[in-house]
Amino acid sequence: MAVKINYDQTWQEGFLQRLEKDGPWCSRDLFELAVQAEEHLSVPDFEGLMAPRFLPQLTPLPHQLETARQVVENMNGKAILADEVGLGKTIEAGLILKEYMIRGLVKKALILVPASLVSQWAFELNTKFHIPAIAQRKSYVWDQYDCIVSSIDTAKRSPHREKIMEQQFDLIIIDEAHKLKNHKTKNYEFIQSLKKKFCLLLTATPIQNRIEEIFYLVSLLKPGHLGSQSGFLEKYKNKELSVQENEHLRSIVNKVMIRNRRADTGIEWTNRHVQTVPIEFTKEERELYDAIDSLRNLQSGFAAGGFSLITLKREACSSREAVYYTLKNMLKKYEDPSSEYMEALNVLHGKIQAAVQNSKAEKALELIKMIDDKVIIFTEYRATQLYLQWFLQKHGITSVPFRGGFKRGKKDWMRDLFKNHAQVLIATEAGGEGINLQFCSHVINFDLPWNPMRLEQRIGRVHRLGQTEDVHIYNFAVKNTIEDHILSLLYEKIQLFERVVGELDDILAKLDFGSMEEHLLDIFQRSRSEGEMKVKMANLSAMIHLAGTVGKEGDSLASGGNTSIS
Amino acid sequence: MLQEEIHQYLERFFSANDCTIEENGQGVLTVQLSVDMDKELMNRPFYWTYLEKTGGIPNPMKVTFITNPESAPDIKGETVHFGAPRLHQIFMSAKKLASYIRLYEEPSLIGNRQIPLHPWLNINAKISYQCDRKRDVLKSFGLSLINGVLIESFHEKLRKLSLTPKIPDYCFTISPIIKPASGLKRLESHITSDILNSDHAWADEAKKRWEDDMTLLDRFYADQEEKPETYEVEKQALQEQYEPSVKVDIINGGIFYLATAPA
Repeated sequence: MAVKINYDQTWQEGFLQRLEKDGPWCSRDLFELAVQAEEHLSVPDFEGLMAPRFLPQLTPLPHQLETARQVVENMNGKAILADEVGLGKTIEAGLILKEYMIRGLVKKALILVPASLVSQWAFELNTKFHIPAIAQRKSYVWDQYDCIVSSIDTAKRSPHREKIMEQQFDLIIIDEAHKLKNHKTKNYEFIQSLKKKFCLLLTATPIQNRIEEIFYLVSLLKPGHLGSQSGFLEKYKNKELSVQENEHLRSIVNKVMIRNRRADTGIEWTNRHVQTVPIEFTKEERELYDAIDSLRNLQSGFAAGGFSLITLKREACSSREAVYYTLKNMLKKYEDPSSEYMEALNVLHGKIQAAVQNSKAEKALELIKMIDDKVIIFTEYRATQLYLQWFLQKHGITSVPFRGGFKRGKKDWMRDLFKNHAQVLIATEAGGEGINLQFCSHVINFDLPWNPMRLEQRIGRVHRLGQTEDVHIYNFAVKNTIEDHILSLLYEKIQLFERVVGELDDILAKLDFGSMEEHLLDIFQRSRSEGEMKVKMANLSAMIHLAGTVGKEGDSLASGGNTSIS
Repeated sequence: MLQEEIHQYLERFFSANDCTIEENGQGVLTVQLSVDMDKELMNRPFYWTYLEKTGGIPNPMKVTFITNPESAPDIKGETVHFGAPRLHQIFMSAKKLASYIRLYEEPSLIGNRQIPLHPWLNINAKISYQCDRKRDVLKSFGLSLINGVLIESFHEKLRKLSLTPKIPDYCFTISPIIKPASGLKRLESHITSDILNSDHAWADEAKKRWEDDMTLLDRFYADQEEKPETYEVEKQALQEQYEPSVKVDIINGGIFYLATAPA
């Protein structure tokens, strides 16, 4: 069989020139050293990992080495690295990148990560892996450097996008790849359009809500591995899968995905202590909450935007500032609000004015003083974040804000400020991902997200490799409010916090009963009575329970340990 | 590569490049760089341009390398380990500076008769078998430019001989019968046919993987009459990922005048 042979001709020309000009010639010593250098650098086998020999200062964990080996030897350099949060996917990706660079199979690499992680990735690749990676800051880096770390949001925009398309990247790494589960987004379309010779998708949550998500993820990596879109959806969407079908799907997914679980790694993890902190509203806060609740009966306006109502109620559990901000925005949308609507708003404004005290903030202050150590507060609302900053400062506690919208440099700076100078970091949801804060071991969930995976992401910022202390989590919930219900459903009935990390995503994946949020909306919004709500909640928790027990007998799609992959 | 080997390598490298070894202790090597080595390794072109423009006195750097941090805990310097960018840079530099050589054998027995030295053409090559994986084989060949005899592991055999850059007394060189240019062609065709005749199971397997992924790709786009651009991009990516090829790089080589055929 014919194989393409590329024979280096340039050396021959140089040699003949030197013969003609009688030199210059090198010394014997140097000649010998050049041959020795090549002996050290050459790759003797197709199999095995060279990278660890080049990284004597790095001590990868056994599962990380095994993952790197699998990807290079059995997965041809295209894989979803889906370890549970905190098992060191970055190390695995770094090992693989290093291996390909040593083997000369990758020269140019593009690493797309959340904006807040750009500097950190570049730093780790440089220090831990001796890979001269550069954080993208100006557009001229694309053709000037071989290894570039950038955020997707920057990369997909002009003129970067066009410049990237001109480059020949050999390896593309995408961190937090679960954000690409929706194939209709610009980000998805951008990644799809990139040429992917080798490609690594990193995510702790390959499936969050629906089974289709894994299809879109795999299809980015290896189109056709799970068949065509129509074929897949017809076969799997909203279907009860038989055990064989489930097993079959799992085995093909595992050909392109490696998922290590904490339990299998044999690493000692620090403990998690979870505590629910019930909050009692003040009279004024309660009145505000009830006033919002009563809007349900309003004829016009609010009824149309049912979602707003439930949002307002959740916000009322967080801070009056959050409510105020949303009301202001809602009002802007109406050109000609009805008098009934305006009156309702006026009532609400009055209640907002009256609710001077924030019970949650008081409680948080008390806790922070008691903990007397670094604390992260998560809130869903920016207005609450601002308020808390003001409130804590008033009581002599230093805090720094953190949110997704920050520029990269600011994020790094805030992280450093928190690490070295401030006691508290106040993060909004968007800030939950992609920042490593293992120097802190106390987390206050000031309000609770509906999607339990988001909660796992929050905790994962702190409870990860490198955490030396037990982690304490405090969940705030106001009694007799929607929050109380969410908490009791998600966090007590599902026993989210008691579960091993990563177990829940398996369960949700298996359920495949649509988005968790849709269910919650249905329960809290369309229920006509407390009774109906309770029945629906019981149903949901029963389903989750069932899935949980099934999950313990067999294993679910997303949960294949690395042993079963081949 | 052991830390001691790295130490020896650095020592030889800097000595071979006319640098002064100022200190050579346990795990520590202090080197006064020559001007050329400073320009080669220290990456400060502005300094050298400035100096040349102003006509100042060159002040090349002095560098301390630490090859064993444990035996030199208090010494400030650059730690060099296998995989350190500095060592890699020095490897690359060695290869760049040592591409071409010409040496003469120093015969041990020198009577009063003149000794003829025969010309040998040598190349040391790295042959890389490459698909989505890669393997290198290092080969060294010597071709007699008198009778066309070809010897493998030539470099290793030369290690035993005493060689010098200047033609020794009482020796004379025989002119090549085979021209160096055609000698190079002979070596090239020898290496190429060697590769073509070897076992290509690795390439067959790579092609199989390629075809498998191609089948999947076609299935993915089966519904679409007119294939979108992404189809072509993916197709191209698969080719780059799997297409087997063999690359022959010449590390270095040269001409050797030898008294006897190496064995």
